[in-house]
This record gives sequence, C-alpha cells and structure tokens, in this order.
Amino acid sequence: MRSLRLAVRLALRNLRRRPAQGALLLLTLTIATGVLGVATSVYGSADAPWDRVWRATNGFHVSLGVYHPPDEPGNRAFVAELRRRSEHLATAPGVIGVGGPWTHLYGSIEVGGGSEDLTAEVRDPGPYEVDQPLVTSGRWLGEGGGVVLESGLAATLQAGPGDTVVIQGRPLPVRGVASTVSRGRFPLSRPAQVWVTPETARQLRDLGMTEEGFELQLRLADPEDAAEFVAAHSLEATDPSSAVIAYMETWQQRRADSHSDIDILAGTLFAAGALIAILTVATAAVLITGRMATQLRQVGTLKAVGVTPRQIVLVLLVEHLAIAAGAIAIGLGIGRLLAPRIAATSVTVLGTPEPPPLTWARVAMVAAVACAVVLLGTIRPALRGIRQSTLRSLAAGPRPPRRPGRLARLAANLGVPLPGVLGIRSAWRRPGRLLTNAAGLLLGVAMIVVALALRDSLGLLSLKPSEPGHAASDAAVGILYDQVRAVILATAGLLLVLATINAIIVATFAARDAAGNHAVLRAVGATPRQTVTALVVSQLGACAIAVVVGIPLGLGLWSLMEGGDLPQVSVSTRALVLLAAAVPVVFAAIVSVPARLLARRPVAPLLTYE
Amino acid sequence: MSEVIDARGLVRRYPADGPPVRAVDGVDLVVEAGETVSVMGPSGCGKSTLLHLLGGLERPDAGELRLGGRRVDGLSETQWAIFRRRSVGFVFQAFHLVDELTAVENVELPALLLGVSRRDARRRAMGLLERLAVAERAGHLPDRLSGGEQQRVAVARALINEPLVVLADEPTGNLDSRATGDILKLFAELRQARQTLLIVTHDARVASTADRLLTMRDGTIVAQTRLGSGASVAGILASLADLGGDG
Amino acid sequence: MRDVIMSLLAKEPAHGYELRQRLVKALGPAGGALNPGQVYVTLSRLERAGLVEAMEVAQPSHPDKKVYELTAAGRERVHQWLADVTWSKVAPVEFHLKLVVAAATRLADPVALVDAQRLELLRELHQLQELALEEPADADGALLLEGAALRLQADIRWLEVCERRWVERESR
Repeated sequence: MRSLRLAVRLALRNLRRRPAQGALLLLTLTIATGVLGVATSVYGSADAPWDRVWRATNGFHVSLGVYHPPDEPGNRAFVAELRRRSEHLATAPGVIGVGGPWTHLYGSIEVGGGSEDLTAEVRDPGPYEVDQPLVTSGRWLGEGGGVVLESGLAATLQAGPGDTVVIQGRPLPVRGVASTVSRGRFPLSRPAQVWVTPETARQLRDLGMTEEGFELQLRLADPEDAAEFVAAHSLEATDPSSAVIAYMETWQQRRADSHSDIDILAGTLFAAGALIAILTVATAAVLITGRMATQLRQVGTLKAVGVTPRQIVLVLLVEHLAIAAGAIAIGLGIGRLLAPRIAATSVTVLGTPEPPPLTWARVAMVAAVACAVVLLGTIRPALRGIRQSTLRSLAAGPRPPRRPGRLARLAANLGVPLPGVLGIRSAWRRPGRLLTNAAGLLLGVAMIVVALALRDSLGLLSLKPSEPGHAASDAAVGILYDQVRAVILATAGLLLVLATINAIIVATFAARDAAGNHAVLRAVGATPRQTVTALVVSQLGACAIAVVVGIPLGLGLWSLMEGGDLPQVSVSTRALVLLAAAVPVVFAAIVSVPARLLARRPVAPLLTYE
Repeated sequence: MSEVIDARGLVRRYPADGPPVRAVDGVDLVVEAGETVSVMGPSGCGKSTLLHLLGGLERPDAGELRLGGRRVDGLSETQWAIFRRRSVGFVFQAFHLVDELTAVENVELPALLLGVSRRDARRRAMGLLERLAVAERAGHLPDRLSGGEQQRVAVARALINEPLVVLADEPTGNLDSRATGDILKLFAELRQARQTLLIVTHDARVASTADRLLTMRDGTIVAQTRLGSGASVAGILASLADLGGDG
Repeated sequence: MRDVIMSLLAKEPAHGYELRQRLVKALGPAGGALNPGQVYVTLSRLERAGLVEAMEVAQPSHPDKKVYELTAAGRERVHQWLADVTWSKVAPVEFHLKLVVAAATRLADPVALVDAQRLELLRELHQLQELALEEPADADGALLLEGAALRLQADIRWLEVCERRWVERESR
C-alpha cells in the first residue's frame, strides 16, 4: 500500500512538471470519451418520455394484432376465428385489463401534397381499461364526428383541432390530437394513424377504406410477466397459405422498436467513438513513447538506485490512469450536456429526450474504453523502457539501430537520392512507430472513402422518387440520413484532425530523435534541406501504408454499411486516385513543418561534448 | 598562396546574465598547407568554439575567415555544407558516427554527398579503412565497435574527400591509452603525408605531435611555439634515465 | 649501473664487450648516451668489491679476453636488487624549489618560468615521439620511449597545475 501512495505522489509530481504533454493526452482521450459519452446518453434517451406516456395512458403490457391484406375477403372466416380466440385470451389468468379488439381500416391521407398510407382505428368514445390515448389538444372522440390525429401525424401536417385533413379525397374535420404508445410516431413509423368513431368509420368505408385487421391490448397483474404471457399464449397464424398475419408483442419490444432514429444515431455515435478510440490509442502510444524516451534516463537512475520495474510501471500507470479518469468524467459530462440537444432532433421521441440515468454499466463502458486506450498505449513503451538494461538507460539515447533493410538497399540501387535512402533507413529502424502512425492515418483515409461513398449514395437517395404513399416518411427518413451523414462527416473530420495531430507529434519526436544524427550529417556536408527531406521521407512510409491499406478498408467498411435503403454506389476511381495522390502530398507538407523548425536549431551544441 | 586557413579578428559571443561572454575574442590564425597545428588551453578558453568557427559549425560575430583562399565567414548553412564536403574533415571527441549506418557507409557518406559514384565511394572508403587497420569491421554498426575503432572510422570519414584541412576536437578524449597511442601514430602518419591538420586538445602527447603549438586563454591566442627544433634526444633520455648513478 | 651489470652476469659469465652490446640493445635510442668506458669502469669496481671475479680466456688468433663471473656475494646482491621496490625520482624537487625561490626573491616570475619549462617539455615530447616512430613497436627500446613520453606528459600536467596555482597566488 505504501508503494501505491509513493507512486501516486510521484505521478502527481510528474504531471505537474510536464503539463503540456498531460494536457495533450487528456485532450485526445476526451475526444474519444466525449463521443462515447454522447452515444451512451443518446441511447435510450427516448425511454423516459415513452414510459411517462405509457403510464399516463394506461399503456398495454401485451398487444395482439391481426392483419390481412385489404383485398382478400376469403380470409374473413379465419380472421373471425382469430377474433374469437383473442376475446378468449382476454379471460386468461393474469389479465387485469382489456382494450379492444378495435378494428383497423386501411386507406390513404393526403400529406404534404402526396398521399400516405393511413390506418383508422375504430373506437367508441371510451373510456378504456387499456390505452387511453393522451389528448394533447382538442377533444377525444365523441359526439359530432371528426377524427383524432396521432401526434406525429398532426406534427407532420401541422394540423390541429379545427383544421381539416383530406382522407380518401374527402376533407374531414380534426377533433383533437392525442399521443399513444401503442404505435410509433409518424412519419418514421408507418402507416399514419387516426382514431374514429364507428359512425365516422361507416363514412370512411363508404369512401373506400377497407378493413385490414384488428388489435387487442391487455394489461397484466405484473407488467414483467408480459414476455412469459406471450410465450404461453402465442397465437401465430397457423395456416401458412393464408396471408393473414397475427402476432403478439410485449410493451418492452414496442418501446425498443419505437425509436429507430435514436437507435441509429446512437449506433453511429458508438461506431464513431470506437474508431476514434482506436486512433486515440495510436496517438496516446506515440505521446507516451516519446515521453518515455525523454524519461529513460530517469528510469535508469531509478533502477540503479533500487526501484523495482514493477514500481516504475505503477507510477506510469497511475499518471496516465489519472488522466484517463479526468477524460472519462469530462466525456460523460459532455455526453449528458449534449445528448438532449442532439436527441431532440428526433421525430420519434414522445416529449423531451432525457439522458438515461448513469448506471454503472454505462459508466463502465466509457471507462473501459478510456482505460484500454491508456493501458495499450502505456504498457508497451513502459515495458520496453524497463527491460532495457540499466546501463543502457543511463547511457541514454534512442533505441539501438537495426541492420539496414532490403528496402533501403533497393532504394540505393535504384538511384534514389541520398537523403531519401537515409530517410528510409530511419523509418526502418522504428517499425513500431511507423505502424502506429500508419494506423492513425489509415483510419482517416478509410473514413474519407466512406464519407465520399456516403455522400454519393445519399445524393442518389434524395433523387429517388418516393414510392406512392410514402412521401412524408421518406422525407423524414431523409432527415435521419442527413443526421447520420452529419455524424459520419463530423467523425471523418475529427479523425482527420486527430490524424494530423498524430502526424505532427510523430514528426516532432522523430525530428528530435534524429537531431543528433542530422547534426553529424550536416557536419559532413549535408545541407539543411537534405536533412529535412530525409526526415519527411522517413515518415512517408507510414503514409504509403495508410493509403494502400486505408482505401480498401474504407471500401470494405462501406460495403458493410450498404444495403437496406442506401443505394449501391461505387466510389469513382478518379476520386480514389486523387485521394491516393493528395494524402502523401498533404502529409508531407504537414510533416515538413516541425522538420524544418527543428532543422533551424544550431548544430554545434549537439556535437559538443561538454 | 599556400595558406589553408587565414583567420583575422574572429569573434564569437554568447549571451549571458550581464554582458555577453566572448568565447572567442579576436583571434588571428594562419595555417599553411601541410602543417599540423595544435591548440591547447584550459577548459573554457574557447578552443572548441574556435574550431567550430573554422569549420563553419558556428558563425563568427565579427572577423574574416578564408579557407583555401576563399572567403567563407558569410556563407549560408547550405553553402557551408556544400563547401565542407570538399574541403573540411571533422573528427570529434564523441566520434559522432551516424548510428544507423555501418562503418563503411559512414566513411563513404561525404563522398556520396559530393556526387562521387557509389562504386568509387565504396572503393575509396574500403581503401581508407584498410589503411587505418579497421577494414574487417567495415560492415558493423558503430555500437559494435570499440572507441578506438570508431575514432579510426571517423578519421577515415574525414579523409575520404581529401579535404583541405582536418579539424579534430579532442580526438583522444574518449579513448583509453592504447587507442590514444593508435591515434597518435595515425596523426604522425598524416603529418608525414602533408595533410593539413588542426587539433584542439588538452592531452600533451597529442598536442606535441604538431609542428606548431598555439596556447589559448580567455578567447585569445597567448603563445605560438614551434615544436620542431630543440635539444637532442639522446641527451634528454640520458637525463631521464639517470644512468650515471651508483647502484 | 652496478646492479644492472651484475644481473647481466647472473645467467652466465660474459666479457665487457658483450655486456655493453646487451645494454645498448635494451636501451634502444637511449643507448647512444651510454659512455663507452662506463661498463669497464663499473666492472673493475665490482671486482674490487668482491662481487665479480675475472678470468683470462685464451683465444686462438686474438689477445686474451677478460671474462667476468658473479661470486656468491654478487649473486646475493642480485637477488636483493631484483626484489627491491624502491622507485627513483618521484618528486620534481628541484623545479619546485626553483619556483619558490623565484617568488620569494622576485628574481623571476614563477608563471613565466612554468610557461617556459612547459614549452620546452613539449618540444622534447615532440622529438621523443618522432624517435618513437622509427623504432619497431615490439623492440625493448620502444617501451623505454613510451615510459619517457608518459613521464613527460605527467610532468607537463603537473606544470599546468603549478601554473594555475601560481596564477591564483599572484592575483591575490
């Protein structure tokens, strides 16, 4: 325990002495934890509002629905049989409340200049044991006709009590607007829904609406028994030749299905967070390795004095885990702050989104990622520093060089100019760093490819004429895709920023490491430009790997995302070639900045032995 | 004009608390072709700084410097680098071999920079390494070489382009006595081959190999001594050997 | 010199000329400083002291050679000498006193004396090293030259210390 306290004290002192590096690590970690924090707070943020409406409306625990295609009357006998069975179900043990069965009529409603599928649920005015819709404006069904709109539909139509809606071509007055949990909100949940009295239903049937099924809703003594109940009384359509569909659903299932846009958004954010976390590992590893290199002498001294390697690793871990703890706290805080704003753009939420309470599971998930980043980034450099013999650490200096590789010899044979060959040699000497930098870059490149493909695909999507009856919901889906695209583009942007930070850090450390050798090169007659070129070339290896692996990776990721409603698109070869050419150029430009700055330093002090 | 180095009034200042320190404070120096000159002085006297100025590793704040007749004190970094390839060879106390190149690659580096073909550069480098009796270590990286071997490789590197002058900064500072002896012999050979050599050192044995000795103190040269003439050796030895005494 | 000559006779008797040859070979370039008559003078002294004895050896076409041989007492002396670890001339007494006296009497500036002596020693070292180049590396003479050079180097170092000390004293 005492060594832990000592470790903590040493760690705090180290942090205070080098605040810049600690701050940089904190920043990169916080980007990852922030995105993940938003993701955890967005995911499930629609649950609390849903629960509120569920309780207020005496929402169902188990729902039974039967649907048959509108134009096949031959199923009527079968449907009647199902109706009898469902009424029998209402008397099953455990059932304390019944709603319905309510008939559903199928037709169309005019929305935004186009027509949308419509379901009219036929109810007498009530009250109901189960599913008493929550009237948000106007009145519920009663004397005087008119329809009650589902709140999502009303929002899309921007219609309220006193307005008219056009159903089956006929304008009908709106009586009121109500919320329910028995259906998802229009327009992401289709078809649109209105409630009507039996009289109005007769009118609608005359106008051409046909019967398409019915729904029965049950409340149980214990809501948690819903799944058991469904398992015990499953009522599947037993005749496979018929087109009649019957299914039972629990309230938990419905809740889970009601917020597809939130789910997609959260999912995208999680994926983005994971990618960013991977890149942050690379950045953290580079920062920590660079830091270890400068601290190597300290490690050697400590070892010579008798501090055990385990204690050294402990100090390092404490330091970096402390930073990780800070990043976790800030990330979760950002998440809770930003999530309601982001989730509020959702069209499915029944009210204001609320970040779900911070369960240990959610905190642990973000914490696990941050700690994994720190551990992966710390362990390897730390172990390497410790395994080095004490003497070598004391003598200080970078890792010993390896035998020159075949690539360098090949380059020399091909007549690549000397600075280029020296650069390749340098790169070969530190394969770990090369790979780390490449990993950082290639994620950025892959995301650019995905972003390009997504942009083309979504562009095609907006051009696609909407299917008849789906105009409004297609528009809403379009908005959702826009959000997702925004998230993806933002992620690509973040990854690029991180990759740039990564490149600059790596280049700076590489320049510092090479400073000694470059001073010697200058003393024997290499010009400053030649040494800068050598440095840039040494970093280009990472760039080459990033392009060669990143572009196929991006194409692969895209092919995973394709399908569903996203039109197939192949990224144009010309764009890919441009990308493959642009990345090294931009990268070389970025890397040459620290290279040139460090080349300006005077050479003599590096060569003097004082 | 056979003056390899012609320095007049060289001054180099460093900022410090208070007035700037004059590391080199008005040095005039002439070195003829084929001469070996050594510079001795207490530490901090500016002899290393003087060497850096002569080789272009530092810029003088005042004064003129000509190497091989060419005015060099105003050259840019790039121009100095190109000039150094052909004209100046450095030997450092800490050897300063590029640690990721093998011995022979280190030696041929200045030649490659000069534009010599790879084959010729390699040939020249191996020739020098053989002359310096370190050829069988040609393919090793510096961290596998002893101090004496590394310094010999460094000397080979300094010589490969047949420079106007070799500038050596405490060349035996990191060597044991055996390796020091090897370097002494090497410098004596260079002297016989009429290679112009300027050595900064505080080792009397190294300094005394020169034709001329300069003593520096506080940034200026306070004494110049020709070492070539003097008492007969046998006499010296006799007085040292104390042969006349009773047993 | 006496002990050296006696030891050279320890293995087998020899005459004066051989002894001189051996000495010259061992001394290398310093052998030139050896007085030609020194060996013979030393041998007669040793004979008088009873440490060696002389024998006449007849030679066919040359005059008789005198061959010298160690006595028992001589052998005893040789053993003692070989085991003796006294080292001669450790401290540079004379020069040190020269500086002290010069400072006290103000007859000369000690720092100037040190500088002049140092430069002279450097000149001597230069000559010594030139000589050493001509000597094959494994000859005995080369070892002697190395010893001389190292001593000169040590003396020069001491002179640098002297200079620092006397400069400090002057500045007070």
